[in-house]
Amino acid sequence: MQTSRTAAAVAAAALTVAGLAACSDDGPDDGKTHITVTIDAGLEQPAIDAFNARVEQFEDANPDIDVETQEYTWTAGTFTAQLAGGTLPDVFVIPFTDGRGLIERGQIADISAYTAELPYRDAFNPNIAAAGEDADGNLWAVPIAAYGQGLHYNRTLFTAAGLDPDAPPTTWAEIQTAAKAISEATGEAGYSVMTNGNTGGWILTTVVDALGGRTEDAGTATIDTPQMREALAQLQSMRWDDDSMGDTLQYDWAGINQDFAAGRIGMYVSGGGNYGNLFTQNGLNPDDYGLTVLPLGDSPDAGVLGGGTLAAVSPGAEAAEQEAAVAWIDFYYMEKLTDQDAAVADAQVKAETGQPVGAPELPVFDQATYDEQQSWIAEYVNVPVEQMAPYTSQVFAQPLVNEPVTATQEVYAVLDTVVQSILTDENADVDALLETAQADAQAAMDAAA
Amino acid sequence: MAGTTDRGLLAPTDWKRPGVRWSTRLLHGALLAGLAVAGLGPMLWLAKAAVTPTQDTLRHPMSLWPNGIDLANLTEAWTRVEIDKYFFNTIALAAGSWAVQLLVAATGGYALAVLRPRLGRYLSGAVLATLFVPSVVLLVPLYLTILDPPVVGTSMLNTFWAVWLPAGANAFNVLLMQRFFANLPREIFEAARVDGAGPYRLFWSIVLPMSRPVIGVVSVFAVIASWKDFLWPMLVLPDPALQPLSVRLPALQQFVELDVFLAALAISSLIPIALFLVFQRLFLSSAGLGGAVKG
Amino acid sequence: MTSTDTRTAGVADTQAGPPRAARPGRPRARLARARSGLHTLVFLAPMLVVFGVFSWLPIGRAVVMSFQRTNLVTDPVFVGFANFQQVFADPQLWTAIQNTGYFALLALVFGYPVPLVAAILMSEVRKARGLFSALAYLPVVVPPVVAVLLWKLFYDAGEDGVFNTVLSWFGIGPVAWLQDAQIVMPSLVLEATWAAAGGTVIIYLAALVGVDPSLYEAAEIDGAGVWRKLWHITLPQLRGVLLITFILQIIGTAQVFLEPFLFTDGGPANRTLTLLLLIYRYAFTNSLGGDYGAAAALSLMLAVVLAGFSMLYFRLTRKWSS
Repeated sequence: MQTSRTAAAVAAAALTVAGLAACSDDGPDDGKTHITVTIDAGLEQPAIDAFNARVEQFEDANPDIDVETQEYTWTAGTFTAQLAGGTLPDVFVIPFTDGRGLIERGQIADISAYTAELPYRDAFNPNIAAAGEDADGNLWAVPIAAYGQGLHYNRTLFTAAGLDPDAPPTTWAEIQTAAKAISEATGEAGYSVMTNGNTGGWILTTVVDALGGRTEDAGTATIDTPQMREALAQLQSMRWDDDSMGDTLQYDWAGINQDFAAGRIGMYVSGGGNYGNLFTQNGLNPDDYGLTVLPLGDSPDAGVLGGGTLAAVSPGAEAAEQEAAVAWIDFYYMEKLTDQDAAVADAQVKAETGQPVGAPELPVFDQATYDEQQSWIAEYVNVPVEQMAPYTSQVFAQPLVNEPVTATQEVYAVLDTVVQSILTDENADVDALLETAQADAQAAMDAAA
Repeated sequence: MAGTTDRGLLAPTDWKRPGVRWSTRLLHGALLAGLAVAGLGPMLWLAKAAVTPTQDTLRHPMSLWPNGIDLANLTEAWTRVEIDKYFFNTIALAAGSWAVQLLVAATGGYALAVLRPRLGRYLSGAVLATLFVPSVVLLVPLYLTILDPPVVGTSMLNTFWAVWLPAGANAFNVLLMQRFFANLPREIFEAARVDGAGPYRLFWSIVLPMSRPVIGVVSVFAVIASWKDFLWPMLVLPDPALQPLSVRLPALQQFVELDVFLAALAISSLIPIALFLVFQRLFLSSAGLGGAVKG
Repeated sequence: MTSTDTRTAGVADTQAGPPRAARPGRPRARLARARSGLHTLVFLAPMLVVFGVFSWLPIGRAVVMSFQRTNLVTDPVFVGFANFQQVFADPQLWTAIQNTGYFALLALVFGYPVPLVAAILMSEVRKARGLFSALAYLPVVVPPVVAVLLWKLFYDAGEDGVFNTVLSWFGIGPVAWLQDAQIVMPSLVLEATWAAAGGTVIIYLAALVGVDPSLYEAAEIDGAGVWRKLWHITLPQLRGVLLITFILQIIGTAQVFLEPFLFTDGGPANRTLTLLLLIYRYAFTNSLGGDYGAAAALSLMLAVVLAGFSMLYFRLTRKWSS
């Protein structure tokens, strides 16, 4: 169903608007090239207005292109059917994890001839560009945003529990203590995790990585590791010993955002750029919001899991539509990262319509480009940057770990079951769970190879 | 057939015995209370929650408006959630499915029962056979047929036709109509034919007007089925702008505040419940038919 | 053809009865039949097209697909029984079969006796039976998606959940309705029963009203009391309908999708993964591309089992209604 981390990535990407899609519709024969771009589902009216304003700007600048919008959000549960059904928009977004497979199977359009023309083609951080490249280094899908996982917390609940909202937890043990304090003082969930639609596996993998483990070693599943057991043991302890995880134990990406924005969750792990979604889709009160980095374990392999969003083009798009689609990607997603006027114009529209400007992302180019871009829009920033300082001041120093690459979504689905079992069965047998998960994950990887 | 004035299990003499009379009354009272709580309770709660602020619904779900009524939920459901749009889609889907089902069942049933083509028996058999095929078999191949339909050539995904046309392939309707038409007195057809009525006039001016009851039953089944459908429209209408309420509501839940969402749920239930109250007899007699005569 | 001919042909037809009675070999009759054949075809056309494209063809396609590997991207390849083997090798298949069976069993336990008792009681109601029927049937007209989403809220696991609040009045709970591996399936079935029981009640009621009163009268002459009449007349008279609703319920619950999909998405830990949900996942949520072959193979196997029930159902309804 709905999901996911992609959504998180999308959030990071555009803050307010995500997905595009484009199915080449045979539009009226007016000599224009028609492309379909999609806007995020469930946006508040100002966000829709802001998006439409950008569409108009684009059409003014490109009078031969006609842009239509379609609602679309990437979710693991619906993407395959949309792809097979040819109902994706001409431009759509996908998570980094899906790029390689789609490119290898030729399921997205080869737009590398057009992306090669982009002036910043060679400026991408090579690690990030790789997510959208084929084996020969041709760029089929454009990385539009990158994120690193963060710990989101509710400052109001922290205060209510007698915790200092300016000094969020810095170790996993402190997270557990804080969660207990919050649930005892306020009755709300101190700490929650996603569990459904592959997000349970996504977050569990995040924690394992932060402790220095990995769930995959080049096509071999490595589920049963000390770090995995540590992560699960802590979940068990918080759920069954401390009872600090609240009453709702089954969340997908959208559901946990909603409950967090409603003030029912003390802390949870999700993409660092999630503020935009929380604000525009879930009506988060900015005063409640706090963001810090994930605590990393002592292991030299400990790192923060990161991912990102690619903008891709429907395989059904004809050449002219592909070109127009790349122009849209350039205009809507990329120019604001590379061009001062575009960055300012984008920030201005968002600020005027009350949309968030300045939620933290990871750079898709190099750090200098990112810092420069941030300086252009500094005067429009309207998100509570102070409250995100614990994150922004440290995340760039954290080692970034890429998501697992083989059968990523399927392995996440396997791990969903593990997390759900731990949270709903007090006597869950960790050995048996991990043994089954190891076998299932390996089977999924073998099937994908 | 025994009517309500006739006796049932209990004899008139049984009713005269106080023990039987009182225990029956007691049981009836308990049953009525139980039915009211189970049948009406959830809907009344929904009606209440639709005009209650979110926090009250979350903290005191069984209290009556501890902090007042919030009518703005309803208007917000209508505007912000654009429930009117999905309402329209729902109605359009139901109306189209109804029309296609009626067209297919009436013409097909008429041809098989009245015009009686030579291979009619085999055709009836082929239609009947589909009754034995559970809908799950059709899920994937029908989806692929919608993607790439024969003759038409272009995908029917994201068009209402993808819901309307498959709804027409309903064997139960065809057989019901066929059976009904076959039981109409044939002398009337012959008389009409002597008067010079061709097959079209016979169908339009004689058979259809005589078939109001069966048309009513098929209509009820068609509209209810369409209003309830979820999986199929979810698959073939991925574009939210075309989705009916049943498909849209679960997605909306993630973006809309609880009180507004509950208002949307309440509004969505309103039309079917109103239809039921107005056409109660038709609904209940069709439901009884569902078990007794179906097939 | 002159108008006279037409009229004569019409009269000849009338005398011979329905068109099919016309004998071949007589030129005028053959002509008339050719024309009436054309008319017949016009009336048959909607049915032939709709059934052909959206029923007969997909059924055939399902059989073919179950022996193919196809993902809509590359050309389909025949793979023999590989899809079936793959499905049988999937550990989730057994989970799904168990869960579906458990759902069906619970649905019978919850949904079978209560409507029967209610219908028998209601059949003795002298006044305002319509009110009883309407109340019982009301949940059936609530759109199922609305019902599930509403009940999802009722099932909130917190102390402030709707059901848990009611339970707390009696000092029970709180219950983690949808999150407890042991309770989640009964929770789903409870909602499903609530949503469907009204229809069963009405079916029983129709059958009860149809019981011939003279049977009761005869029994009374023999001195039978209420319970003996119930046991020896009412229930045997309902036997047919009871069997029919039993079969209908098996066919319906074996294809349950909405509740596990919307309530729990098969969770927690696959406790509510049903066969139809598994088919749906094979076909539509596999990020490596839809595995339509495996989905078709599993559908087909389920269908064969259910078709057996359907046939039984058909024979029975035929028998009872003739």
